[in-house]
Amino acid sequence: MTANSEFLSIRNVSMHFGGLQALADVSFDVAEGSVVGLIGPNGSGKTTLMNVLSGVLRPSSGSVTFRGRRIADVPTYDVCKLGIARTFQIVKPFANLTVRENVAVGAMYGRDGSKRHFSQAFERANELLEIVGLARVAERPASDLTIPDRKRLEVAKALALDPDVLLLDEVMAGLNAAEVDEALHLLRGLSARGITLIVVEHLMKAIMSISTTIVVIAEGHKIAEGAPLEVTSSPLVIEAYLGKRYVERKRAADARSAAHNAAEAPAAES
Amino acid sequence: MGGISGSRTALYVVVGVLVAMLFVPALQNGYYENLCRGILMFSAMALGWNFIGGYAGYVSFGNVVYFGLGAYTSAALAERGVENVWVAIPLAMLVAVLFAVVLGIPILRLRGHYFGIATLGIAVATQEIIANVDALGGGSGVTLRQAAWFSQYYYAMWLVCAGSLLVTWLAARSKFGYALVAIRENEDAAAVLGINATAYKIAAWAISGTMAAAAGSVFAFANGFVDPPTAFSVDNNVFPIVMALLGGIGTVAGPLVGAFVLTAINESLWSRFPQIHTLFFGAVIVLVVLFLPRGLLYLRRGARGGWRGFIGSLTAYRV
Repeated sequence: MTANSEFLSIRNVSMHFGGLQALADVSFDVAEGSVVGLIGPNGSGKTTLMNVLSGVLRPSSGSVTFRGRRIADVPTYDVCKLGIARTFQIVKPFANLTVRENVAVGAMYGRDGSKRHFSQAFERANELLEIVGLARVAERPASDLTIPDRKRLEVAKALALDPDVLLLDEVMAGLNAAEVDEALHLLRGLSARGITLIVVEHLMKAIMSISTTIVVIAEGHKIAEGAPLEVTSSPLVIEAYLGKRYVERKRAADARSAAHNAAEAPAAES
Repeated sequence: MGGISGSRTALYVVVGVLVAMLFVPALQNGYYENLCRGILMFSAMALGWNFIGGYAGYVSFGNVVYFGLGAYTSAALAERGVENVWVAIPLAMLVAVLFAVVLGIPILRLRGHYFGIATLGIAVATQEIIANVDALGGGSGVTLRQAAWFSQYYYAMWLVCAGSLLVTWLAARSKFGYALVAIRENEDAAAVLGINATAYKIAAWAISGTMAAAAGSVFAFANGFVDPPTAFSVDNNVFPIVMALLGGIGTVAGPLVGAFVLTAINESLWSRFPQIHTLFFGAVIVLVVLFLPRGLLYLRRGARGGWRGFIGSLTAYRV
């Protein structure tokens, strides 16, 4: 086994809810320090996989191991102590606490929380609010925040747990172009600090620009894995996103233009 | 601002009033001493209810069970000839912790309303069990011989109340207090942030119970008599909840403010309208829930936003 496969490995993970198969035999490895983009059509099982990775759900079969420890063996509240933190797609702020207090709670009970005194947790929260750009609203109740700021707060809370792996579930959804650029800048900064990122996102341009590896999931199956360009040219992936008819039509169009080019080539020579 | 302690001004006022209440026995007036001991007793119980209901957000409808257990701890001691309130208080608190841990492990896995219903069931069942234990006087109750220095029960109740306030104040400025509030705000999010919710809820319920149990153990001696309907009375179950709601749940001073205000109003109505003063409590509960869902201490904060702020808080916090 290589050092990489010992970092975070997903092995034959299946998950069903009653008769619904949400994940079917999904396996892949995440290398330390990488940025893994997790993509797939709506309802393909991305969030379910995030829930399994963060220990919120136990897989029906298969396992996720992080540095040799099975996530399913650890209670949800101890997963962050292993070094895995997540954000929620549907944000869950503590509405009646201030933004600073929201983050401080994470700093109190996360991986290094036991080493921090009460007041040190608030100092750490201040640092993180500076990093994610929420320092200006630190004293406001979390319920006052706009949607982009709530997403930032989710990231700050997850960072407060001092993670090695950060699972980001659609933190860019609903952001405008400028805000997406800011978010990407933030994620690149986190990656540069050595945090491994697993990012679920629908914005193709954003995820392609930041990921080192892309994993594509459709109807619970992993249908592709590889470098961004490799993956997007895979017929299976195009089919999953745009449908079978698109692939057939595109194949026909490609053949036609190839024939056209072949016919034109000698003409150009003369 | 921020913080989970609530209004600092209200806390100063409450502490000032509490210190002043130390001098009540010096007035040598039995009526005032009894009245103020009652306020202190209800304050401690309201603080106890607030700890689990206000901070952890787990609404208990059966905290009177701890009051009753405390009162019966004193009764059991008196039956064995130990008629000493200072021995009874720590013992009652110990009983409360054991009770909370043993019952908390199963019922604090329940969430939200189910917990409230389970606590109500526990309170009713415990009263019935004690009513059938002959060693504890059964249905006819236990008479406790009071000490010659009667005012010691007043000071004991004062200590119980001040201790409960101190514990709440300390919790509200600690990691522990923030864990409880995080559980109240969103238990799933709290778990992902590393908080073992079940353990913290049990601890909160145990602390909540010790406050009510200590008050109950002093009450038994001050009252001189304990039987199941007195120890587990509906009034002792409901008043602390109304007081905490009225003053402001999830604040340090709120339960005391509620206890002072409600006792004052109740006392003035009781003397004038002895028949219908309980009707008044029903009305207060309805009005508080409708118009002051976060209690008196939030009035000032709401007033800052004018009518819009008031209406906003109505819609935001209605349960």
